[in-house]
Amino acid sequence: MISALIWIPIWGAAIIALLPAKIPSNRIRLGAALVAGITFAWNILILFQFDINNPNIQLQEYLPWNETLGLSYKLGVDGLSILMLLLNSLLTWIAIYSSSKETRRPRLFYSLVLLVSGGVAGAFAAQNLLLFFLFYELELIPFYLLISIWGGEKRNYAGIKFLIYTAVSGALILASFLGLVWLSGSSSFDYDAISTQTLSATLQLILLAGIVLGFGIKIPLIPLHTWLPDAYVEANTPIAILLGGVLAKLGTYGLLRFGLGLFPEAWSTLAPTLAIWGAISAMYGAVTAIAQKDIKRMVAYSSIGHMGYILLAAAASTPLALVGAVAQMFSHGIILGILFHLVGVVEAKVGTRELDKLNGLMSPVRGLPVISALLVLGGMASAGIPGMTGFVAEFIAFQGSFPVFPIQTILCVVATGLTAVYFVILLNRTCFGKLDNDLAYYPKVFWHEKMPAFILAGVIIFLGIQPTYLVRWSEPTTTQMVANIPAIQKTVIPRIAMNQSTFNSEQ
Amino acid sequence: MDFVNLASQLNAGTIVPEGIVIITFLGVLIVDLILGRSSSRWIGYLAVAGLLSSLVALYFQWDNSNPISFIGAFNGDDLSIVFRGIIALSAAITILMSIRYVEQSGTALAEFVAILLTATLGAMFLSGASELVMIFISLETLSISSYLLTGYTKRDPRSNEAALKYLLIGASSTAVFLYGVSLLYGLSGGQTELSAIATGIETANLGQSLGIVISLVFVIAGIGFKISAAPFHQWTPDVYEGAPTPVIAFLSVGSKAAGFALAIRILTTVFPLVADEWRFVFTALAVLSMILGNVVALAQTSMKRMLAYSSIAQAGFVMIGLIAGTEAGYSSMIFYLLVYLFMNLCGFTCVILFSLRTGTDQITEYSGLYQKDPLLTLGLSLSLLSLGGIPPLAGFFGKIYLFWAGWQAGLYGLVLLGLVTSVVSIYYYIRVVKMMVVKEPQEMSDVVKNYPPISWNLPGLRPLQIGLVTTLIATSIAGILSNPLFTLANNSVANTRILQESMAPSPQVSVVTSKLP
Repeated sequence: MISALIWIPIWGAAIIALLPAKIPSNRIRLGAALVAGITFAWNILILFQFDINNPNIQLQEYLPWNETLGLSYKLGVDGLSILMLLLNSLLTWIAIYSSSKETRRPRLFYSLVLLVSGGVAGAFAAQNLLLFFLFYELELIPFYLLISIWGGEKRNYAGIKFLIYTAVSGALILASFLGLVWLSGSSSFDYDAISTQTLSATLQLILLAGIVLGFGIKIPLIPLHTWLPDAYVEANTPIAILLGGVLAKLGTYGLLRFGLGLFPEAWSTLAPTLAIWGAISAMYGAVTAIAQKDIKRMVAYSSIGHMGYILLAAAASTPLALVGAVAQMFSHGIILGILFHLVGVVEAKVGTRELDKLNGLMSPVRGLPVISALLVLGGMASAGIPGMTGFVAEFIAFQGSFPVFPIQTILCVVATGLTAVYFVILLNRTCFGKLDNDLAYYPKVFWHEKMPAFILAGVIIFLGIQPTYLVRWSEPTTTQMVANIPAIQKTVIPRIAMNQSTFNSEQ
Repeated sequence: MDFVNLASQLNAGTIVPEGIVIITFLGVLIVDLILGRSSSRWIGYLAVAGLLSSLVALYFQWDNSNPISFIGAFNGDDLSIVFRGIIALSAAITILMSIRYVEQSGTALAEFVAILLTATLGAMFLSGASELVMIFISLETLSISSYLLTGYTKRDPRSNEAALKYLLIGASSTAVFLYGVSLLYGLSGGQTELSAIATGIETANLGQSLGIVISLVFVIAGIGFKISAAPFHQWTPDVYEGAPTPVIAFLSVGSKAAGFALAIRILTTVFPLVADEWRFVFTALAVLSMILGNVVALAQTSMKRMLAYSSIAQAGFVMIGLIAGTEAGYSSMIFYLLVYLFMNLCGFTCVILFSLRTGTDQITEYSGLYQKDPLLTLGLSLSLLSLGGIPPLAGFFGKIYLFWAGWQAGLYGLVLLGLVTSVVSIYYYIRVVKMMVVKEPQEMSDVVKNYPPISWNLPGLRPLQIGLVTTLIATSIAGILSNPLFTLANNSVANTRILQESMAPSPQVSVVTSKLP
């Protein structure tokens, strides 16, 4: 079952790469969209097979591969990964669909996109640490090529930066995995064969730090984020959707699965630091986004901020907070998808992304009214306006985190407020105001160009009104994960209570 | 001593593979003498056939119950068989790629093939040699043939310079090695066979005396030269730049494999008492090689020089397995050398093909190649990415195994350095891929703009294509389907007596965890 999610795109990529060169770009694009559509349909099928009440790994597949290395082809899904797989196949389809009809070198482009999609699915489904690492490293070269062949002006710089950062991240993760498996004395790299119980607290902290830093580059957390603005801005629209929507989730997913899942004790020790880190990331992302003059860059920094909430919720690791974290991962994926898609359309039609040059796109006849309306919707969803999925996810995450880390949570709430600020700036400068009469002869936006945005907007609103469909998948799994974690309340809450009592005695 | 007894002591059957190589060598020479230049049409195939039948002979030697032959001078155990196989295979592929190259340079192919076969012979004997004089003779057979091959295109001043430089450095390092070997002979009380030297040293109770340490360092200097470990690497960039490209393809794989075979055999047999010392020295060499090889490769503009520094770095990675000194360590070395054979020869084949068609090997001249020659682009990209350790190619699995073995042996620092320098290496490997794949048609280099139409019909290009496709397929799938290779590497270590004796019992997991804080 799960294997098909990996191998349909990869075989599709192989077939597309071998097509004769004469086939026009658009045909290849449709072929790739077909492959991605089949994968997505298959994913929906898996969703029906998935037993929501079972917190364990389901739909397992196992093939022995390399016993010397302890590497086995072991796949499975649980509440943590099922939504991520869905997000991956949905966004892959959207990305391929929203790519330009006249893409240069289409065979290479679409086969790389499909290859990346298969690799990401493999990483989400892998239940073996080395297998995960294999799929994780598999993204490296295709994404590098996708950024540096089809990107913007500074694409070479952005591509190399992305490559080096991701390679360092891979090295850190591999070092931690090797250390973890060897020191804990596991027989293989299978996820369920590993237990960190025997390790001393210091060692657990060192290994966890390696994992946090490794995935922190991918998420990205400040100060490890500097590859992100360049890579997101220089990548073209479909690649930016995949980078921000899917690849960043690989980081948070890895953090939850391997950091929280394998090191429950060390996690509770490190949690206060991570919560502060998350809060700082959220604030930093919001504040820097305010200062940007380029809408894509603004959205990129907003992504840094939104990933901060996930880190906060993961650090709090109450059942509610973890549900919120998974929900935030999914909703951030689709919101970023719609935003990057719309920004791409605006750039294609208007020809600029500068806030100082854009104006009055809301104008019904000569502007881009539908695109602007969807942009308003996307901005609102990102800023956490009720009725849309962003609000649901953030609210659950904050409610779950508040009892454990009140101050950090309040900082994050302030950051959502700032998110609203820069999205209002963005909408104000782009959608409202007057069109420049000399320049405003924009091409028509075709129906099929709007379609991905409509689909994503529909999902955003549906999940905002019916949030059960967002949270029901991950609840049993996250509850079980939390059960393994020694309560952070014990380490943090008493201190606050103690502070209060000292206050009282001083009074 | 009656004849039957002598025959059983000689046990000449173990060197049948080498015998086939010798016959091929003589055949090549004689055919060339009789037929002259016109023989070059098929003399390459004759040599390849000889080498492949030698591989078949090696297959039948596997798990020989009585490997010691020639009164202790040669040991045909599974370790030597794997290394001889690697060397013969690298020579076969080298011949495939050199047919056109040598033709085009206007020199005789038969002499070239004959010298290459002699080098192969020396390297194969070196893999199994277990007696000092035998080691020295086979080492020198390999070295002198390498000098001759390096200066083979003698109208090219760079080739001359490279040969002279290689000869000077090589001769002095051989002298140093010989001095170390003579010390061993004296210290052991007049023994030349490796295991007898070990017992001689033990009975004389010379344990960790100064003499042993000096001879160890001298021997390591000789080995370090062959495997081009920093700081004995200085010949590598110049020789790689000057020598004919097929020659350095052989030097980077076959000669290096022979060096590692010698290292394993002599260090584990003769120097078990100073194991900590040689591990320490090799740790230093590995650290230097990984850092220097990878960092200096960043700044190279010529493809051959870059591959030279990359091969220094790869030697550094392989040394991790040697230092680990466990069963997994030796197996990971062998596995890595096997996949290194495929990816490096694939890379060199592409470099040769490009320089045959354009006459240059500057990295910047590769820009925009994807439009003109997709197969070459694919081959060079995959082999370089495999050298950089990108999944799912062969090099990824090789590196994982090396690092995993190193980690199991507690070499945390070395493995971390290996990981960091792999990241560095990705940068310079991807630089070439960027030139070929990423560059736009308008950024195409002049050489690629005037790229000749692709045809494989010229004499000698077809074997080149066969070699390219074979190594390319091996590089791409030897990782995913790596189980047979892993089994081969593990068995060769498990069935080899000298390694089993030398190996310390692998540390128990519980011991490790209790020792840690």
